[in-house]
Amino acid sequence: MEKQISVGIADMKIARQEGILITYALGSCIGISFYDPMIKLGALLHIMLPENNVSGNVNILKFADTGIRETLRKLYAFGGQKQRMVCKIAGGAKMFEMSGAGGLGNIGERNAQMVKKVLMSEGLRLCGEDTGANYARTMLIDVATGQVKVRTMGKTERIL
Amino acid sequence: MLNKYEEMNDMEIDIIKEIGSIGNGNAATALSGMLNTKVSMNLPKVDILEFNEALHYLGGPEDIVAAVLVEMSGEIEGIMLFILTQEFSDEILMRMLGREKVEFTQFEEIDVSALTEVANIMISSYINALSSLTNVNVNLSVPQIAVNMLGGILSLPMATMGIHSDRIMMITGQFHIENKDLDSNMLLLPNVESLNILMKKLGVE
Repeated sequence: MEKQISVGIADMKIARQEGILITYALGSCIGISFYDPMIKLGALLHIMLPENNVSGNVNILKFADTGIRETLRKLYAFGGQKQRMVCKIAGGAKMFEMSGAGGLGNIGERNAQMVKKVLMSEGLRLCGEDTGANYARTMLIDVATGQVKVRTMGKTERIL
Repeated sequence: MLNKYEEMNDMEIDIIKEIGSIGNGNAATALSGMLNTKVSMNLPKVDILEFNEALHYLGGPEDIVAAVLVEMSGEIEGIMLFILTQEFSDEILMRMLGREKVEFTQFEEIDVSALTEVANIMISSYINALSSLTNVNVNLSVPQIAVNMLGGILSLPMATMGIHSDRIMMITGQFHIENKDLDSNMLLLPNVESLNILMKKLGVE
């Protein structure tokens, strides 16, 4: 049995050489996998909201912008290289068909847009994506191979 | 004035618990009337939990549940979320429609609308009680149902309530149909501003 490391909500984990990083049931949240194949360095980040414009002491991994930058800072410190980094994303679903004008319903979509924007501004390649629709996704990355899988209710696992 | 849920003291939590108790009581009465059977409820709980704790408190992230969500607006803003397990859904559909166990994945239109309606009536009764107790106006959105992984379902209320804090407050209540423990959860999730309004209306400053 390979070592499985669970990534919570507003959380991020890094692994080297081997192990599986997994984050469960992404709804409107987004899972972002980072992988440097040369040195087999992988990270999985689970963000909840697009933008960190909150003052005070909050978890920066909760937001797409600060979460991605913090993850990259750590990956680069571990020897990861931007040019080699392979990024994939999953989640950003619209779990409830909300009709209100409050913007409650499209949080998933806003998350997805922001994640892509930040990845692009950081000069990273987005190599795989499974976002949108109305169902939750569990995302995992095998750090030994870099393979990313997504599983959903009642469907077979999909390789991203 | 509270800025974050975790600033609540014991007295404030007790007051909010009382609101939950009255709301749940009304919701249980409504369900009892619809099913024409005895429905009881647990004493409500008020928990201020970190996101991952909140999720594990309610179940496993990949557990498949049905959830009906109603958005509150007006003087009180937030979310009402009724989470139904397979057992609870079976019980309601059996009693209302005479349906034998219908797996969530095998749901037909009639099952979806029956569950949505039952949950909607329970939520409305809950909010009516809250509204008359505290004398606030609350508008409720059209109910929306999702049948999926619990973690995904909770991501919406967490994202909405979790902007300024890393914790959310849940006022939870459980219902029992004829004393069967069916593991359902009625969640009242007001935002922090609304919590302040509720407490002010009840005479706490």
